Amino acid sequence: MHLLEIQNLTKRFGGLTAVDNISFHVDEGEMVGIIGPNGAGKTTLFNLLSGFLKPDSGQLRLRGENIVGLPPHKIVNKGIARTFQVVRPFRHLPVIANVMVALKSPRGAQKIEWLKTTERKAADMLEDVGLSELMLEPAENVGHGDLKRLEMAKALATEPDILLLDEPFGGLNPLETDFLTKSIMRMHLDEPSRATIIVEHKLYALMKIVRRVIVIHQGAKIAEGTPEEIAKNERVIEVYMGKGI
Amino acid sequence: MVLTYFRRAYSSFAAHVFDIPPRLMVLLFLMILAVLPVTGLSSYYLRILISANILAIFAASWDLLVGRTGQISLGHSLFFGIGGYTTALLFKYFGLPIWITIPIAMLVGALISLLIGFPCLRVKGPYLALVTMAFPLILYNLVRWSPLIPIFGGEFGIRDLPAFFPELVVREQRIAIYYLTLLLLFASSVIIYKIANSKTGIVFVSILDDEVASKACGINVTRYKLTSLVISGLFASLAGCLQVHVLGVSNPPMFLLTMSFIPVILTFLGGIGTIYGPIVGAYIYLVLDKYVLTDLLQNSLESFGVVLPSEFDYAKLLIFALIVLILVIKWPRGIARFTTDKLENLEEARDLDERGPRIWKRYKKKEKN
Repeated sequence: MHLLEIQNLTKRFGGLTAVDNISFHVDEGEMVGIIGPNGAGKTTLFNLLSGFLKPDSGQLRLRGENIVGLPPHKIVNKGIARTFQVVRPFRHLPVIANVMVALKSPRGAQKIEWLKTTERKAADMLEDVGLSELMLEPAENVGHGDLKRLEMAKALATEPDILLLDEPFGGLNPLETDFLTKSIMRMHLDEPSRATIIVEHKLYALMKIVRRVIVIHQGAKIAEGTPEEIAKNERVIEVYMGKGI
Repeated sequence: MVLTYFRRAYSSFAAHVFDIPPRLMVLLFLMILAVLPVTGLSSYYLRILISANILAIFAASWDLLVGRTGQISLGHSLFFGIGGYTTALLFKYFGLPIWITIPIAMLVGALISLLIGFPCLRVKGPYLALVTMAFPLILYNLVRWSPLIPIFGGEFGIRDLPAFFPELVVREQRIAIYYLTLLLLFASSVIIYKIANSKTGIVFVSILDDEVASKACGINVTRYKLTSLVISGLFASLAGCLQVHVLGVSNPPMFLLTMSFIPVILTFLGGIGTIYGPIVGAYIYLVLDKYVLTDLLQNSLESFGVVLPSEFDYAKLLIFALIVLILVIKWPRGIARFTTDKLENLEEARDLDERGPRIWKRYKKKEKN
């Protein structure tokens, strides 16, 4: 049994088919990348996985259990956490309280180790992503790169089995990208059973992390394989670069 | 030995009260309010202060729902009126004493807020404000409806309700009521403030900031919104109960739209989302309205021989609106928050580290150890 199984997932917005009959699966401990040109339906796919949208047809199975139609917060509590492409911090709250919100959810509260306070756990989560210094700063005063990491700490606070990262490198400079790549790798090593799905535009950064890449074009899956295979795949090159002469 | 104990108690008290500007302000405020009746204030002003206490409870409950959770309610008079009518009806039909009817009325208020919460909280923002506005209007017409006059008393409401402390004489009774309402205000505002600054309160603020993101954090948003609404309804109906027993009558105007707007005005005067702001706002509002405009202005003009026509009452409202407008434009973040910001700046100069709400401070202390 796969950890997450996606079968014939379809989502239409009026006449537009944003996600068209996509099937794939994710196993424990896998790092999967999802790439595709703008408007390919990657974010829609994420919204379907995290319950913010309901698919028109198809199935989503987490450990064999159907999770289609569950509200987002229930899906998080079942173990699928996500970040957003555009950062969504709680601006009035200090950085540490942003993480404490996630720790207040049933799953987050359950995952706090014995004899550990919520504050302590939140501080540990922030230390993992390197935000300890900004702990007490209101989130509205924090820069974009740090907010990206805060997003990640928020998602990790519930200790998900599957982590969905929606463009984690978007808007980051090379230095920050490098730092984030490293922290994603470290997170993966710390928790080897956690599966991570990354949607990304920056292929260079992505290809270094993931072992398997799924390419989406106009809502449909066009290729799947290791980064090397994808880099050589003619259909993918055609989609990204146009047809050769 | 004993002296050391007291010194330690004092320093702990100082650390918990003097170092936190909002609390220092509350302490000063309470001290002033506690000695006011002893200074020989006339019964008329005591009565104004009593209603300030009651309105402060009402506004603080509104602030928890709107300032902290972001669920805009323009129909808070619903809970106010329901509290009042429930305690009145319980007295009328069962003859229960005040001390029993008030808790029951508070629970009824909480129950009603739960009931209206389920349909209401599905809509967001301005739509929510409009939907909540409808409920008190329905009840306003219901209690005036002619077939129900035997029950609700129609336009005149339910009269001759028992007052607090009936065994005392007029002035003493009023002082006693003043202290009672002050005590209840203190208790309920401390409870509301504690809730607002607890971990649940953090979740409330997260809903205010970004509902989608709090869903993505695994928060059952509907449940927390309902919690906030129920707590708010509980205290708003307490305010309604107090009002009814102080005035001795429970009448339809309790459901009026103007009653719903009072917490809005008070909260914006004091500072939205602070909890202590609306309480400060309540005193500013009533002192402005009843003392400055009515007594100071009118009496001083009359002493110069200017006799104001009876239309002045309407002009008063206009002047009052103008003053509120100026205050809100001058201090958009609220007068109370402006003051605490000033105090915090002073403190920042003293010690940069020891700022912020207690919850972070406590954490910091642990870090140091």
